[in-house]
Amino acid sequence: MECIITIELGTNAVRVYAFDLNGNIIGSLKGYCPTFHSEPDYSEQDVDQIFITMLYVLKNLLNEVLHPKKYKVLCICFSSSMHSVVAVDKRGNPMGHAITWADNRANKEAAELKHSALGKKIYNATGTPLHPMSPLAKIAWIKNNEKEKFKQVSKFLSIKTYILQQLTGEYVIDYSIASATGLLNIHKIKWETESLKFAGVTAAMLPELVPIDTKVGKLNKAYQTSLGLSADTKILVGSSDGCMAVLGDGVTGEGTGIITVEDSGAVRVVSDKVMQDDNQRFFNYLLTENKYVSGGPTNNGGVIFEWFTRQFGDFKNPFDIEHTMLELINDASKVPAGSDGLLFLPYLLGERAPIWNANARGVYFGMNIKHEKAHFVRATIEGILYELYSIGKTLEEHRSINSLTINGSFGTLPFFTQMVADMFNKPVRLRENYHSVSYGSYLLSAKEMGMYQSLDEAANSVVLPDLATPDKQNNKMYLKYYPIFERLSTKLASEFADIAALQHD
Amino acid sequence: MNQFVLSHTTASELRLFPHIVEIGVVKNSAIRLNGFPSTTDRCLKLYYIQEGKFEWSINERPYTLYPGDVALILPGNEFGNRNNVLEIGSFAWIHIQVNKNEKNELVTGAWSSLSEAECHAISKVLQADRIPILQKFTEAGTILKSIQTELFTQEIGCQARVNHLIDEIFIQVSRQFTRMSNPGRDFPKTFTKLEQELRNNLSHQWTVEEMAAFVGLGTTLFNEKVKSYSGFSPLNYLINIRISEAIKLLKVPDISLTDIALDTGFYSSQHFSTTFKKLTGYTPSEFRKNHLGTN
Repeated sequence: MECIITIELGTNAVRVYAFDLNGNIIGSLKGYCPTFHSEPDYSEQDVDQIFITMLYVLKNLLNEVLHPKKYKVLCICFSSSMHSVVAVDKRGNPMGHAITWADNRANKEAAELKHSALGKKIYNATGTPLHPMSPLAKIAWIKNNEKEKFKQVSKFLSIKTYILQQLTGEYVIDYSIASATGLLNIHKIKWETESLKFAGVTAAMLPELVPIDTKVGKLNKAYQTSLGLSADTKILVGSSDGCMAVLGDGVTGEGTGIITVEDSGAVRVVSDKVMQDDNQRFFNYLLTENKYVSGGPTNNGGVIFEWFTRQFGDFKNPFDIEHTMLELINDASKVPAGSDGLLFLPYLLGERAPIWNANARGVYFGMNIKHEKAHFVRATIEGILYELYSIGKTLEEHRSINSLTINGSFGTLPFFTQMVADMFNKPVRLRENYHSVSYGSYLLSAKEMGMYQSLDEAANSVVLPDLATPDKQNNKMYLKYYPIFERLSTKLASEFADIAALQHD
Repeated sequence: MNQFVLSHTTASELRLFPHIVEIGVVKNSAIRLNGFPSTTDRCLKLYYIQEGKFEWSINERPYTLYPGDVALILPGNEFGNRNNVLEIGSFAWIHIQVNKNEKNELVTGAWSSLSEAECHAISKVLQADRIPILQKFTEAGTILKSIQTELFTQEIGCQARVNHLIDEIFIQVSRQFTRMSNPGRDFPKTFTKLEQELRNNLSHQWTVEEMAAFVGLGTTLFNEKVKSYSGFSPLNYLINIRISEAIKLLKVPDISLTDIALDTGFYSSQHFSTTFKKLTGYTPSEFRKNHLGTN
């Protein structure tokens, strides 16, 4: 029997799945990797620990599930989170930890660029919002703040590049991850000269650019032996997690919005055209040479509901947050849509799309004497999803969205899924049982092995059931309150700035 | 409780308990100047407030204590009222003789039935840098009362009971401290704290019991939570950190393999080598050669 392995290098964990050739899951395991915050704005991960964790998890899945059942691994396909930077010296050894997407140290570099003519030019060329998350800003930060280190850097890699290099010896970066660096011209698919100049690097200091279906060299002998894999196991470079989720939900063309609600969240659409937005509100990442995944990210997804649960939930057993959240959702379900006029702005972590305001903060608005705890629970969830709706609404200025798919650990909670359908007034399709990101990797592998002629054909094989149809009454209610939410989110800008300044002191 | 003081130098009741330096109860109805000066001693002190309000200074930081509160003063920490005043109210206390080993950990004496591992875990909890006050911890008052009763009645089994009760103080106080710092809501945060502690003491031979005690969970629930959160068993997670740190050290040319092995908590360079090769496919020296060149 033959199988395909997918490896997702995510923010908190490495997730490894094994699929049979029909796309059924044979097994899956995960391994946690910590994020370090040595300074308030810093978010770093240890790439060697990520590598060791990946080996450990992969090896366990092979030894516990695949080898005993005599599966032959035909292909291993990768995906990873975006925007990471790993500086390596001339021997290829990391110079410190990887800087992850959540790191904000390059705030100043990003802000200065954003408000300049050069910034506008770079955004139009690269499609990556000018934000401290982008490797462009991060590398510029190292150049400006760690001059000695910068001189010693031989290459700037992504986390996935480093992991693939450890396994195969090759330095590669796929179009998808590269398109999220702020360094790639997404129209020409070449490194953007203006970006390289701003970051102070040359193309030789970056990995080789390759399409997402590229087979990367060969697995090093030592890993063939220790993992029990054959030399002809294909290693596929794969894409970013965001682009994989889109593919995994079967979307490679216009008309569908893809909503992800994990700790953070995003609304995405796919097109063969770049989405030009004068306000620089959206990202445009490459899935393939001619498919753009455009959309907006939010910082304040499920992590905000987790925050609420920890503060106000009734924990029956220590650390049993899952159960406590379900109890709260049960409370929330008894309150009518619109929470009887209680609104919540979920900006506890500042916000990216669509307001792009790092100083934004959380607000409960409209409280009256009749509101009870359950109203706060419901308003909190509604606020998180109004925010996703606001991203979707701005995307609809450029693209029509007829239906939605949803994925992510929070998005797939039935209460969340239904609320999204009601707010957007569109049917929502949903992949049950497994992760859209890994299924996207499976589809890419299946295409690469000739089971499908094209990615479109592979994506078309995905049939997701409509799991939530919109409730018109609820939709009416949400549309009454949403304009107030939208106005508040920008109206309070100067108060957000003042309170954020005081909180920084 | 009525007022009394037993001191190990004079009280016959403490003949069998040389490790109880002092135990007592005071009921004070008028402010006494110079009644409670700061002192620094080599014993561990525990105070339990029964009535009144007390402004005390522990290790040069001021604290206000109310009925039901417990103050824990580690050996060598200064303790008393800043103005030497004994305020109005009543409290009970016990001073217990503890030793410190070469790693500066607290060790109970032969009288205690705590195992070495338990003692180590408790010492870690008590010595962690935190506010030395347990609010509304009335269990401590109950235990002190039981010790007092045992000492004065001297019934059969008194020696065993008193020693058990002192162990009980150590156990309950450290459990309460961990409960306070881990209210059982935020596992990611708790796990991060544990991970930092493991990294800071990587060469220590951690047991699951010690890790669970640090987090304030029983070992069964601890194993389950760590597994579901991290995908690793606690000991495998520890090995994962050890190997990751070893990888970094292997890229530094001048550290010997034995030093790396011991620094990262392996028993020997052999143990290190086997574990490393099993996971990475390379022996540490092959790995080092690949990353440093042949020199």
